Amino acid sequence: MSREAAISGALACFDDGEYLEILGRRVAVPTESQNPDRLTDLQRYLVEEIGPAFEAMGHSCTIFDNPVAGGGPVLLAERIEDPGLPTVLGYGHGDVILGYADQWYEGLDPWTITQRGDKLYGRGTADNKGQHTLNMCAMAAALAARGRLGFNSKFMVETGEENGSAGLKEIIEANLDAFAADVFIASDGPRVSPDRPTLFLGARGAKNFDLVVDLREGGHHSGNWGGLLANPGVVLAHALSTIVSETGKIRITEWLPEPMSNSTRALLADITVDAGEDAPEIDPDWGEADLNPAQQVYGWNSFEVLAFKTGNPEHPVNAIPPRAHAHCQIRFIQGSKREEFLPALRRHLDEQGFANVEILPPPPGNAIDFTATRTDPDHPWVRWTAAAIERTSGQATAVLPQLGGSICNDLFSETLGLPTIWIPHSYAACSQHAPNEHILLSEVRDAIQLMAGLYWDLGEPGTPG
Amino acid sequence: MRSSLWRACIGTSANLALPDNKVIEMSRSDAIAQIESYFDQGGFIEDLSRRVSIPTESQNPERMSVLYGYLTDEMQPTFERMGYSCRVLENPREGAGPFLLADRHESDDLPTVLTYGHGDVVLGYDEQWREGLSPWILTQEGERLYGRGTADNKGQHTINIAALETVLRTRGSLGFNSKLLIETGEETSSPGLKQLCQENKDLFAADVLICSDGPRLSPQRPTIFLGARGAYNFDLTVDLREGGHHSGNWGGLLANPGVILAHAIASITSATGELYIPEWRPPGIPDSVRNAVHNLVIDGGEGAPEIDPDWGEPGLTGAEKVFAWNSFEVLAFKTGNPEHPVNAIPPHATATCQVRFTVGVDPEEFIPALSRHFEARGFGMVQAEPAKKGYMMATRLDPDNAWVQWAVASIQKTTGKEPAVLPSLGGSLPNDVFADVLGLPTVWVPHSYASCSQHAPNEHMLAPIAREGLQLMTGLFWDLGEAPPAWEAAA
Repeated sequence: MSREAAISGALACFDDGEYLEILGRRVAVPTESQNPDRLTDLQRYLVEEIGPAFEAMGHSCTIFDNPVAGGGPVLLAERIEDPGLPTVLGYGHGDVILGYADQWYEGLDPWTITQRGDKLYGRGTADNKGQHTLNMCAMAAALAARGRLGFNSKFMVETGEENGSAGLKEIIEANLDAFAADVFIASDGPRVSPDRPTLFLGARGAKNFDLVVDLREGGHHSGNWGGLLANPGVVLAHALSTIVSETGKIRITEWLPEPMSNSTRALLADITVDAGEDAPEIDPDWGEADLNPAQQVYGWNSFEVLAFKTGNPEHPVNAIPPRAHAHCQIRFIQGSKREEFLPALRRHLDEQGFANVEILPPPPGNAIDFTATRTDPDHPWVRWTAAAIERTSGQATAVLPQLGGSICNDLFSETLGLPTIWIPHSYAACSQHAPNEHILLSEVRDAIQLMAGLYWDLGEPGTPG
Repeated sequence: MRSSLWRACIGTSANLALPDNKVIEMSRSDAIAQIESYFDQGGFIEDLSRRVSIPTESQNPERMSVLYGYLTDEMQPTFERMGYSCRVLENPREGAGPFLLADRHESDDLPTVLTYGHGDVVLGYDEQWREGLSPWILTQEGERLYGRGTADNKGQHTINIAALETVLRTRGSLGFNSKLLIETGEETSSPGLKQLCQENKDLFAADVLICSDGPRLSPQRPTIFLGARGAYNFDLTVDLREGGHHSGNWGGLLANPGVILAHAIASITSATGELYIPEWRPPGIPDSVRNAVHNLVIDGGEGAPEIDPDWGEPGLTGAEKVFAWNSFEVLAFKTGNPEHPVNAIPPHATATCQVRFTVGVDPEEFIPALSRHFEARGFGMVQAEPAKKGYMMATRLDPDNAWVQWAVASIQKTTGKEPAVLPSLGGSLPNDVFADVLGLPTVWVPHSYASCSQHAPNEHMLAPIAREGLQLMTGLFWDLGEAPPAWEAAA
């Protein structure tokens, strides 16, 4: 048996439709972790889908209840072949964001996979069901090719990632031995471009918060009171305009990272952010002035207004609204002073005359608060993994210090102390947190081979450490 | 000459052996006593409850048959009982609510008064009302009568109709010709009203407009206003791309429409509401207007919002800001999914905005000026679109007009209080139809107050104002059948 057999086995899994059949079943489970009514679906996903698949691969499975009320469970699958072999921890998340079924293109449904050309639509196809399903199929092919893995496998699947992975840290901290490993290798997020295999070693952090201008109770007739009462929408618009420029440049000094190092600048200088067909057009003038797009998203901080509401937008009436509310977010790289963000914002608002703009915690449904972390690009496991992928792909692997998006990487890099290596199988224009989420089938077909080769190589001699 | 002719028409009290003026005084106070008992014995609450229970939301297309029903089943029987002939006039604008014109013609030699009201209301927003309240059920709590339309406008036209009926019953005739116009589209900017009046000037011909809407200057002070600020609604839209995009993967690469729209709005006014666009600012305040309003004290009454003294145009008094200056509002703003936010850069942002404006600025210039302003500041991607329903023009009658002086005297006679006279109301009314199209002197006698939450949940009317409004309108209509000096002067 051989590396080629592992790869061709994985390829057959895709080409024969087995991958699509499994993924279709998994997408059909509406695992919305932001919807409290879906708790039983989260449970069902692990018990009926993930557990049996790992048991078929000779893993034993444990389900950890979430210590946070309302949080979904976590499954840990384990196959220890020999304590002397390296142990690889895999990860995936079975939950998805809200379906927003009514906002999808005509004929599409978030809970039904639908193929249109190279795109496979469905909630979770990109984030993350399509990715962990791919890795599980690739691992099965490597196992079938060799008859054993040749390494120890631990693979965890959580069900609260889209809700800030509430409770996961507590579970891991209470079971450090169970989750102990030598390296973390998992898949989530996008490649730099659909046809370029990519590693990323960490992620930007993310901190959500709300800004609220709550001036009085109830609306007041805009004719009788217009000119006499402060308008909270106007006040909040002005406050936001002092936080970020009209071209997206952050204006609060404490929100910015240290100036970019020359090595990071160089690592990202030749990476083209190519999100593929139908990707949104990048706005070159947005953000920090002297950074290229790769440096902007993989090496710098950004600020978003995720939502803003005042008045009754669906049915506006002629009243001065009492309240305006913005749901905001900072994405930041390692080294940013995360604990200083909100105190600095408070000082800034006060100095600018916006003492009446309150900073409040984000709503529980979208309360992400991720630390920014990353593994050193020169770590032996990074170099080894990049080379293993190159053996299959035949092209240089793009290595990003951190992903633009946020993931719970700190649990693995800090709590478990592992080198963290992410091998993404999606692409940036996959609409992963929006309607019409999809994955590219050509990318899946490519990636399932890379992962089979990688799992094969993990069972060969010569792994780091 | 005319006075004696009118007196001959009056049926009551003519045979009493008292000097004429004494007879009149008794009958006037008799009429006012009757309207007091109408209120005190619950007649007013009963009529208003019935009207409030009809959900005449003109902003909801599904309520069209309800708008018709308000006119044919509620207004028409009332007016016919009072000897008016009624006709329902279809709206020349498709999809807009109908009008009712009721006409009681007593003599060609008498003055004709047009009285206007609107039967439609803004959306109920049932779920936003305080516990125990419903927009469609009149609920009395202390001095407050809660319900959608109590303030705007069902409560107000109910007062005027009852006053007319009381004068009619007391005197046997009104002593003047009366036309009543009830429209059902005021809360959608009165579609078709102007066209209807332009095309049917004879039908609506009158000598004066006397009617009620809007708030008093303060709850205790009877008020007359003579016009209104205009209202120009428009939408601002920043539409950058299709669909949301993950804020981690794309944050820093894609322009955020919420940020851009916030900046665009921040360029329109200062952070304290001072207007920056020259074409949006009045050229100044005429001396006569400044004299009328300068010292007025705005008192929204109990539960009124606290006025923000630093908001709006610096250097103006509160009354000048609201009765004689322009204001800009963000009525609504939305980007992303505010109720269920996700971590995505939203594709678009929209804001519904409004300019309230006085006589002296050209609303047709608002959007062109705004577009130039945006272009100059790099906000060319912000689209400004005027509201489809059009806008309300600003009007203002000279406070020295004879009808005004006459109305002031009548109200003073009834209430013993000096009414406040406002050249124009802060809020907007379709008054240009009456002032400009029909050419009428326009006298508005409001029966609400500023804190009535009229376009918001918990709309209410104050019972003491309703009672006093019934008294003073009865007095006003009584005096109109006697000798309206203003009309004599005009004739």
